[in-house]
Amino acid sequence: MIKADKNLGKVVTCFVAICLSGTLMVLSANAAPGIPQGYDSGGEKIFKRFDRTPLAVMTGTDGKRTLKKYYELRQYSGSPPRIPHDVPTSFSGDALKCLSCHERGGYDPNQDAYAPVTPHPEYENCFQCHVPQRTKKLFVETEWKSIKPPKLGLSEMGGSPPPIPHSLQFREDCIACHAGPAAVAEIRVEHASRGNCRQCHVPMISTEIRKEFTRTK
Amino acid sequence: MKINRRSFIKFSAASSALAAAGSIFPGISFAGWQNQEGASGRINWQKAPCRFCGTGCGVLIGMSGDRAVAVKGDPNCSVNKGLCCVKGFHSVQALYAKDRLKKAQIRKNGKMVEVPISEALDVIAAKIKETIKKHGKDSVSMYGSGQWTIPDGYVASKLFKGCLGTNNVEANARLCMASAVTGFMTSFGIDEPMGCYEDIEAADVMILWGNNMAEMHPVLFSRMLASRKRKRNVTIVDFATRSTRTSQAADKSILFKPNTDLAVANAICYEIIRNDWVNWDFVKKHTTFHKGKTNIGYGTEDHFSFKDKPEDITFEEYKTFLADYTPEKVERISGVSAKDIKYMASLYGDPSKKVTSFWCMGMNQHVRGTWIQNLVYNIHLLTGKISTPGNSPFSLTGQPSACGTVREVGTLTHKLPHGVVMNEEHRKMAAEIWDVPVSNIDPKPTYHTVEMFRALDRGDIRFMWIQVTNPMITMPKLKRYREGCLKEDRFIVVSDVYPTPTTDVADVILPATMWVEQEGMYGNSERRTQHFDAIVPGPGDTMSDTWQLIEVARRLGFKKQFPWGKDEYIEKIWEEYRRFHDSPKHNMAPYSVLKKRSGVQWPFVNGKETRWRFNPKYDPACKKGTDFDFYGKKDGKAWIWARPYEPAAESPDHEYNFWLCTGRVIEHWHTGSMTRRIPILHNAMPESYVEINPEDAADLGVTNGEKVKIVSRRGEIVMKASINGRGVPPRGTVFVPFFDESYKINELTLDAFCPISKQPDYKKCAVRLEKA
Repeated sequence: MIKADKNLGKVVTCFVAICLSGTLMVLSANAAPGIPQGYDSGGEKIFKRFDRTPLAVMTGTDGKRTLKKYYELRQYSGSPPRIPHDVPTSFSGDALKCLSCHERGGYDPNQDAYAPVTPHPEYENCFQCHVPQRTKKLFVETEWKSIKPPKLGLSEMGGSPPPIPHSLQFREDCIACHAGPAAVAEIRVEHASRGNCRQCHVPMISTEIRKEFTRTK
Repeated sequence: MKINRRSFIKFSAASSALAAAGSIFPGISFAGWQNQEGASGRINWQKAPCRFCGTGCGVLIGMSGDRAVAVKGDPNCSVNKGLCCVKGFHSVQALYAKDRLKKAQIRKNGKMVEVPISEALDVIAAKIKETIKKHGKDSVSMYGSGQWTIPDGYVASKLFKGCLGTNNVEANARLCMASAVTGFMTSFGIDEPMGCYEDIEAADVMILWGNNMAEMHPVLFSRMLASRKRKRNVTIVDFATRSTRTSQAADKSILFKPNTDLAVANAICYEIIRNDWVNWDFVKKHTTFHKGKTNIGYGTEDHFSFKDKPEDITFEEYKTFLADYTPEKVERISGVSAKDIKYMASLYGDPSKKVTSFWCMGMNQHVRGTWIQNLVYNIHLLTGKISTPGNSPFSLTGQPSACGTVREVGTLTHKLPHGVVMNEEHRKMAAEIWDVPVSNIDPKPTYHTVEMFRALDRGDIRFMWIQVTNPMITMPKLKRYREGCLKEDRFIVVSDVYPTPTTDVADVILPATMWVEQEGMYGNSERRTQHFDAIVPGPGDTMSDTWQLIEVARRLGFKKQFPWGKDEYIEKIWEEYRRFHDSPKHNMAPYSVLKKRSGVQWPFVNGKETRWRFNPKYDPACKKGTDFDFYGKKDGKAWIWARPYEPAAESPDHEYNFWLCTGRVIEHWHTGSMTRRIPILHNAMPESYVEINPEDAADLGVTNGEKVKIVSRRGEIVMKASINGRGVPPRGTVFVPFFDESYKINELTLDAFCPISKQPDYKKCAVRLEKA
C-alpha cells in the first residue's frame, strides 16, 4: 500500500509535468488549423428536449449504465459507439426503428435496461456510424492506443459548476446523455429540471490547450 | 500482448496507481482501449481528407505526440460538415495493425527475405533496365491506383511515359471509373461532373441508378435524408437490381433486370418526347444528335479492339430510334412496369422539379458502361436539367483520388496530364514540362488494364510494378491473371502497407507510407483537390510511393527530371503538374491555397472555385452572352446519343441459371486490406457471404447461414448464405461482397468489358448454386 502511494505521488507529479510540457509543446505546434470548436448553434436542442421530456423521466434513476460500460463500446473518447445488443441483419438502420427506442428512451424488457437517448436524432442513417458486433475475434492484432477519456469533476473551484469536458460536435443536447434513467451513472445530473444547462456549464474541452488571456496592444 | 519482466513491473505499478487514483477521484473509470503511455492529455487536430471512398470527407486527425488517437469530421469541409461514416471515424486505426509492412523484402530462392530498402530499389532499377534490354520498352509496366496521391501518379506517368517511353501505365480506376470518363468525353468532350454536392440540397428529386448510397456514399446519403426531412417535398427513387438499405430509405424502390437500364433510360426519353416535356429552347441551342456503332462486342478475347464511329443524326431519326422503347415494350425486357417507367419519366419531365441523378459502380462496371452514361445524360439534356443547382447528372467515384490522380493526372495508357498521347500538341506540351525529348513519348497507347494483365500472362509484359492496390483480389476472371503473375520470368514489384494476396505474388515488396504518413493530395468526385500533410511518422523503412518512384528514376539515370529534395518535393511536383492545367477550364489552386483549406474545387480561376460548370453564371470558362456553353465540344453543344439496349456478355441459361452481382458493404472498403484491420469494422463484418432470394433459398433447401457452392464457367466457391439479410436480391440473382480474401469471388467473374471504356463488368455473369 505504501509502495502504491509512492507510485501515485510520482504518477501525479509526472502527470502534471507532462501536462505542462505537453501544453507548451502543442501550443507551438498547433497554430495552423484554426478549427472552430463552437457548435454553439446547437444549443436550441437542449430547450426542445427539455420541453418534451417529462420531469419524471428526467429525474428517473437506474444506475446500471456505468462509464466503464460506456467506454467499452468506444475506440477512443468521442468515437461512435458500437451497437451492444443484437440487431437482425435485415435491420436497415432505418431511423424509425432505431429512434423508436433511442429518440426518447424508455424501458426495454428484452434488455432489462433503459435505452440511452441519442443527442443527434436528426441523423437518420444510423448504421452509417454505428455497427453491431458479430464476432469478438480480430482479423489481425492491433497496436491501437488512445488517450484517457476526460476526467470528471474538473471544477475550477470547490463547488463551482464543472465545465463541459468534451467537444459539442454531435453532442449539443446535454439532457439526452446527462439526465434520465439511461444516463451513465457517473455523469448523470440531479438537477436537469433546471433546463438551461449552459447557463452554468461552459465548454472547456479537456483535450484542448487552455487559452490564457494576454493583452494585445 | 507480450509481457516481459520489465514491462510487467511497469504495468502492475501503473494499474495499482490507477486503482488508487480511482479512489481519490471517485467516478473516474477507464476505457476499453489501451492508454497511450506518457500522453499529455491534449489533442492536436490536423486536417486531412478521409483515406477511403471518393466522397472526400474532411477529417480532423487527433494527434497525441506522434500518434493518431482520435478522429472527428472536419466542420470546415463543405463535403461532410463535421460528419463521418463508421470507416472514417475509425480510419486512423488502420495505421496500427501488427502486421504492418516495415521492411523491404526480396524473393531469394523462392522465399521472401527482408533487405534494406536501398537494396530493393537497386534490384528494381536493374530489373527494369535488364527487361527493357531483353524484351523492349513495352515489356515493363506500372499498375497504380485511384488511391495513389496526385504526386504518386504524376511521377509514375513522368517516369514511364516521359522517360522510359512506354505507355504501359494503368491504374485500378480503369476497373472503377473508365466508363464515367468515356461517358463524359462522348457526351460533353471533357471529363468530370458539371455539378457539386450542393445539388443534393437544391434538388427536389434524386434518382439513384444502381447506387446503394446508404452503404457506399453514406455521408452524401445522410445529406439527402436531411434535405428530405427539412424540405418535406423531396423524393428519392432507388432504381436498382436488388433491395438494399437504400431501397428501404427511398420513397420508391424500382427493380430492373441486369443490363436493362439501357432500355429503361431510352423509354424515359421516349416518354419525355411523347408528352412533350422536352425543353426545346435548351435542346435547339445546346445539343446535337448522334449515333454510333452497334453490336460492339464484349472484349472477352485477347487483343480485342474497338473504335466507335460517331455519325450525326436528326432529332426525327432519334425519335424513330426511340420507337422501339415504348414503356410497354421495355416492361417486357426490363421487368419494370410501364407505370413505373412513366413515373420516373414524369419526375424528370416535370418542369417544376429539379432532378439530380446519382450513380457509381452500377453504371460504370457495365458492358455498355459508356452507353448508359450517354443515355442518362440524354434525359438531363432533353429536359435541360443540367449545370444548374439541383439539376445534375452526377457520376460519383469510389476511390479517394480516382478523379484527382487517374482522371486528372491521366495515369491511363492513352492519357497525358493534359490530353492524350495520340495528339502531337499534347505530347509536345508534356515533353516541354517534363524536360524530355518529344520523341520519347510514344503516340500509340498500349494496354488497358485487363489487356495489360493478359499481356503479362502471355509474356508480352515481363515486369509490373503495382502500387496502392490489390489486383489479386480485384481482377475479374482472377485465376488466369494470378497464374500469369506467377509464371517463370515474370517480375512483380508490390508497394503496399500490409500483406495481401498481391504481395503474396510479389518478387519485391516495398513498404509504403500510408495516407497521412506522407504529404499528398487527393481529388474527390466533385472536382475538389484535398491536400494533407505528413502528420504521423511512417514506421520502419516505409517510404512514400512518390519517393520510391523518384529513387528508382534516379537509379535509371533521370536525375534531371526528378531533382527535388525530400522537404519540398510535393510542393515542387504540384507546381510543375499545375502547368498542364493552366486554363480557365481546368485551372488548379496553388499549393499555398490547398495547404490552408479543407479542399478546393477546380476550375479555380482568379481565386474562385467553380461550383457548376458549363453555366456562365458560375463558370468563367464559358463564352459570355450564352446561357450554357458545353465548351468540351468545339461547337459548344452537348451530344445526345442514340444507343440501343444490348444484353450482358453472359446471361443466365439452363446450366448457369443465376445472375451473380458483386459489390461492397458499408464496413469494408475496397479489398478490406485496411478496414479488416480496424477492430470495430472486422467485428461488425467478419466475413463475406452470398445473398440469396428467400424463395430461391427455399428451392435449394438452404437456410440462413448454411453453406452454398457457387459455380461459374471460371471457378467455384463455397460460402455462407445470407437470406433476408441486409440486402435481398430478386429471384434469380445472388450478390456477394468482394472484400474478403478468403472468398475470392472474382475467380468466378468474367473479364468482359465495355468496348469503349475497357472497364470490366463485375455486376453480371452467370452462375449456378448447389447446397454445399
